[in-house]
Amino acid sequence: MSEFEREEKIKAELEKHFKGSVSNALVQRKNRVWAEVETAKLPEVAAWLRAAGFEYLATVTGFDEGENLGAYYHITDTHVIVNLKVKTPRANPSLPSVLATYPGALSYERELEDMFGIKVTGLPPGRRYPLPDDFPTDQYPLRKDWKFVQPAEEKEAK
Amino acid sequence: MSKITIPFGPQHVALKEPENFMLVLEGEQIQGATVNLGYNHRGMEKAAEERTYLQDLYLIERVCGICSHSHTTCYITNVEELAKCETPKRALAIRTLVAELERVHSHLLWLGVAGYEMGFETLFMYTWRDREQVLDCLELLSGNRVHYSINTIGGVRRDVSAEQKAEVLKRIDYLVERTNYYIKLATEEPTIFARTSKVGMLPPEEALRRNAVGPTARAAGIARDVRKDDPYLIYNELDFKVITHNTNDVYGRLVVRALELVESYKMIKQVLNGLPEGPIAVKVPMRIAPGEAVNHYEAPRGEDIHYLKSNGTDKPERLKVRAPTLANLQSVQYMLEGGWMADVPLVIAAIDPCMSCTDRAVVWDPKKGKKQTYGWEELRKMAIEQYKRRGVDFSRLA
Amino acid sequence: MKTIDKLITWSLLKSPWILHFNSGACNGCDIEIVDALTPRYDVERFGIVQKAVPRHADILVVSGPVTLQQAKRLKTIYEQMPEPKFVMAVGACGCSGGVFNGCYGVIPGVHQTLPVSVYVPGCPVRPEAIIDAVVKLIQSVEGKK
Repeated sequence: MSEFEREEKIKAELEKHFKGSVSNALVQRKNRVWAEVETAKLPEVAAWLRAAGFEYLATVTGFDEGENLGAYYHITDTHVIVNLKVKTPRANPSLPSVLATYPGALSYERELEDMFGIKVTGLPPGRRYPLPDDFPTDQYPLRKDWKFVQPAEEKEAK
Repeated sequence: MSKITIPFGPQHVALKEPENFMLVLEGEQIQGATVNLGYNHRGMEKAAEERTYLQDLYLIERVCGICSHSHTTCYITNVEELAKCETPKRALAIRTLVAELERVHSHLLWLGVAGYEMGFETLFMYTWRDREQVLDCLELLSGNRVHYSINTIGGVRRDVSAEQKAEVLKRIDYLVERTNYYIKLATEEPTIFARTSKVGMLPPEEALRRNAVGPTARAAGIARDVRKDDPYLIYNELDFKVITHNTNDVYGRLVVRALELVESYKMIKQVLNGLPEGPIAVKVPMRIAPGEAVNHYEAPRGEDIHYLKSNGTDKPERLKVRAPTLANLQSVQYMLEGGWMADVPLVIAAIDPCMSCTDRAVVWDPKKGKKQTYGWEELRKMAIEQYKRRGVDFSRLA
Repeated sequence: MKTIDKLITWSLLKSPWILHFNSGACNGCDIEIVDALTPRYDVERFGIVQKAVPRHADILVVSGPVTLQQAKRLKTIYEQMPEPKFVMAVGACGCSGGVFNGCYGVIPGVHQTLPVSVYVPGCPVRPEAIIDAVVKLIQSVEGKK
């Protein structure tokens, strides 16, 4: 379809440049491209996208698919949003950082660590985000198997 | 000169939400800054997975009180995309109307807060008094001054009648007059210029590197506005300009927001005078077929982006919200470094944080081993005194 | 009552000073609280002044469901206030957690952290409700004396 020229172009170039590491690429609708990327190649794909004019990492969405954890990296040039999906096994979840290309990724990658327990290699040391300081470090709220039961209300505090 | 580290804690006096900044000072100059967040973390993304799509609408609205419509509209656009429903044109137009009214109320709020941080309290009182007109419009259209909940899945909850249209237009005319006065003030008043010029510098390369969004980026000359770049609702039919400025400082952000008010008034009039006929909502099934959608929206503070994944049930599989201020906070660190302590309240307020700021500053001089606590109010007063000594005094304004 | 106590009570009743604390709110109630200070509602004419420091305040106005991170800090602020002091829980979130009841990041309702003197419902509260709440609080204190 010629109306999705820009999107088709980016999809084609991604597939050509990273043959074998990019799969399930599709143009979902106007201004939306989705693709699955091999985890180890993520920093390289991010750097290539940035050089191609996709200057902004809008956000990173972690997810829990049961056998695998992972994240979507939503990268945009303000018109088209390219959504890169990377997966990592639940038994030992780890993702490479894209801080070198997108310095603004810091908060988003810390969030992956805190909420899903995915170790992001390459992050500088720092305070955790967004969970409170005294939240246990081995509990990951956004994982599907983490359930919360609200404690019964204590009597009025005095 | 010895270096002092000041932790700015989470309690605030004027407004907004809690944050923490660690500032390393050498004398009065800031040598380093780190931003710490998390005080407002409530666990909404997890809660959203356990509630139905309609319940989530009301939950997502309360991500932020000032830009609640931004969050619901972005979320509902995702839901309607996944449900493959055809939202009626009239509903989209009413959403646009409320969106621009929200932008007006938010920018007037910011003008007032910026004035207050500078020491110009009269500006604070004037803008918030005028803002009441906008809140009246919103109450007329939706029933509530804040958290309007005009959206529902498939359209909007309430229609706009001819009397409501007349009332809104009347108030907008009053606001246009007042805004012209504020623009004159912002561009011609030397005291405001002295307080805001060259403060909180963010050059375009840094703004791009750190993914600044909204007026913070537009004041650095980057013409980035989701309404023009990836139009949603009925923005592709409206005639408006993207306002940018090239001074890269707080003054630029002030001018950008003031001029954006004018564009918003134009758009409100266009929408009201050209409201398409038709129904205001369509029925959408409770269960949404599996799929994923990403949508962004130009909130008053910048680009707001939502991701939604459905799984065939009546509850979402995953909902992700990234509010604009999180994107701008990476830039605050850069803007604070090299600046003066006295400018800290204004620089932080200039990104229009929807997660807020500081309060207790504990100044610790390691050489003398002395600790002194400053509250936000004391810091503000210190800043105003420091500028008075340099000749910038708002009390002399008529 | 000793003269000093009479003086303290009189100044509290005639001019209650408030300290606003946001314990994780969405800002809706916060902007309405600040709105109460602006020309349309103008609570300053009743003697209600917003202070910066707990040591100057009579009433602690708390908005928001209390997030885990803020609970300890909220208690600290309350302990720094001198007697006689009162707590006003503002908004549906302050009363019971509001929409956030059931979320893991909150201890729903201010009353689970501090003793509350007056609850103000609304989402968000209207500035008129805040004025009404202060009046009711003052009347209840007056009634006791």
